[in-house]
Amino acid sequence: MTRKITSTEALAGLIARRGLSRRRFLAAGGSVAAAGLLSGPRGALAAGEFDGKTIVFASWGGSYQDAQKACYCDPFSEKTGATVLQDGPMNNAKFRTMVESGEPVWDVVDVTIEFLYNGVTSDLFEKLDLSKINTDRLSPIYVHDYGIADIAWSYNIGYNTEAFKEGEHPKSWADVFDLEKFPGTRTLRDRVAPMMEIALMADGVGMNEVYDVLATDDGVERAFAKLDTIKDSTVFWETNSQSQQLFTDGEVSCGVILNGRAFDAAQKGGPVAIEWNQNIQSVDYLVIPRGSKNIEVAHGLIDEMTLAENQAKLANMIAYSPTNPDAFAMIDAEIAPWLSTSPENAEKGMLINAAFWEERLATLAEKWEAWKLS
Amino acid sequence: MARPVRRGGYGWLIAPAVGVLLVFFAYPVFWLLLRSATDPHWGMQNFVTVFERPVYLRVLWNTVAISGMTTLFCLLIGYPLAYTMANSSERVRRLLVFVVLIPFWTSLLVRTFAWMVLLQKQGLINEVLVGIGLLERPVALIYNRLGVLVGMVQILLPFMVFPLYAVLIRIDGSFTAAAATLGATPVRNFVRVYLPLSLPGVLTGSTLVFIISLGYFITPALLGGAGDLMIAQMIERQIAHFGNWGLAGALAVLLLVLTVLLLAAMHRLVGVRTVWER
Repeated sequence: MTRKITSTEALAGLIARRGLSRRRFLAAGGSVAAAGLLSGPRGALAAGEFDGKTIVFASWGGSYQDAQKACYCDPFSEKTGATVLQDGPMNNAKFRTMVESGEPVWDVVDVTIEFLYNGVTSDLFEKLDLSKINTDRLSPIYVHDYGIADIAWSYNIGYNTEAFKEGEHPKSWADVFDLEKFPGTRTLRDRVAPMMEIALMADGVGMNEVYDVLATDDGVERAFAKLDTIKDSTVFWETNSQSQQLFTDGEVSCGVILNGRAFDAAQKGGPVAIEWNQNIQSVDYLVIPRGSKNIEVAHGLIDEMTLAENQAKLANMIAYSPTNPDAFAMIDAEIAPWLSTSPENAEKGMLINAAFWEERLATLAEKWEAWKLS
Repeated sequence: MARPVRRGGYGWLIAPAVGVLLVFFAYPVFWLLLRSATDPHWGMQNFVTVFERPVYLRVLWNTVAISGMTTLFCLLIGYPLAYTMANSSERVRRLLVFVVLIPFWTSLLVRTFAWMVLLQKQGLINEVLVGIGLLERPVALIYNRLGVLVGMVQILLPFMVFPLYAVLIRIDGSFTAAAATLGATPVRNFVRVYLPLSLPGVLTGSTLVFIISLGYFITPALLGGAGDLMIAQMIERQIAHFGNWGLAGALAVLLLVLTVLLLAAMHRLVGVRTVWER
């Protein structure tokens, strides 16, 4: 069954309206076209091309990085003879320090879209030579001068299937913040983004107005006030693996979890499921830290990631959506309900506004720390 | 005092150790402390931040409170344990020493994770208590102050027990015997004779546990909740999440000053050498 999923168009519409500005979108598209005119798409990687070279790939750890290793790094090593070492987890400050020191240890890094925007302004990345990457395989909106998107994913309402009766689980963020109707411990990410958006949605703000409200001081106060109502019953997770563990152990009854991580935990027998209502969509990009000594090989690894079969394999392992539209045909049918880009899932959610966080992350992060202690 | 093997000329023997300490410990620590006054530019702005923004002082208070409670519970549990060790037969004493030492030798991280497994909602303790009917539903034993204290007390207990034991075992039994013949009741005997004699050990053990708890990181990070943030975690967050080395350095200076003051106070009261004397 090859149902053509037009989710990328849906997401493209969302991103073009909210995330990437038209100027950057055109610039990205323009540079792709220019590269195409100059030298055409890059040919297949030659066997043994990078024999003896070693590069370091850094990502977010846990089952996600395991999947990336199996689907991108190992095939790349086999084809080209390069050795790919795994490191991580990715950490904004660590990345920054590394680049500032002039000797980055990482060569290819998986970063979130907010960090991509942030990093471009702070000049943290190498400008990509798009002639070395087959960007025409990808939807144009996923191609950026400094990063190539590898997956699309979402923050979801996760709940413990054993804690609630059939059909009576939390279905909205307001439900997650309702301790009486849905008792039990909650779990939230220990980061200000996108907990602020979630708190506002729980307080009744519509998805389209969240960032307008959050831009005001009153809006920020409102979000923290809403978070205060569940603070004493909340366990905060730092890493994605922690979120999986909390649900698997039955430690929490509902909260925030990434769609792919919930899929992975459920596959391994954990009693966790997700709700698609009010999900928050995001995209991860592969970037090269400025000053990397292995730029050639790094480009090769990024190129390997654009292959449809690799992206489909990753989606089958951990339900993160591919950025190469041809990959959708190769994804198992039963994964579709878990993909953030399936149309029925994407339309229920909103896109994280990376431009907003690029400006406000530092100040709001401090407020988050203060709030946690109060 | 035994005659030394050789006279003088030992300096070069400790040079390698001192060298390692200087390069890998003193220099990086000094570098971080220096950053507190130079990052992002020369001045005391980081210290001003620490004292102005309430969140940092709250973390400091948290740290002192948790350390204080840990010390108190270590004392309450450790004193009877050390007393038994000091006043039993050789066999029981050896057994108790092992009982205290073996967890001490186990990795800190392993023990913290073990506590996570025990204290979870579906962990061993809750399952047993619910199973035998003492509880209706699992109780939150972890990700809160209770979890932190349980973990820290268990891990730091040896640091209280051994200094205490070292002092208790040297208390001359004839003092309590004399007091008994003069008519003291067991309680009065303990309070007026034994306890004051054991005070150096109590103070040493307490200071040791308190100072170590001040800098604790892994156990409160894994077993605690949002409101149990301690200063070491704050320092880590400043460096790892915010890249703010200057502020991290300022917090580190604060911790160092507090520790040095406490050590100085202990030395005044007790004298650091009491543990080894006689």
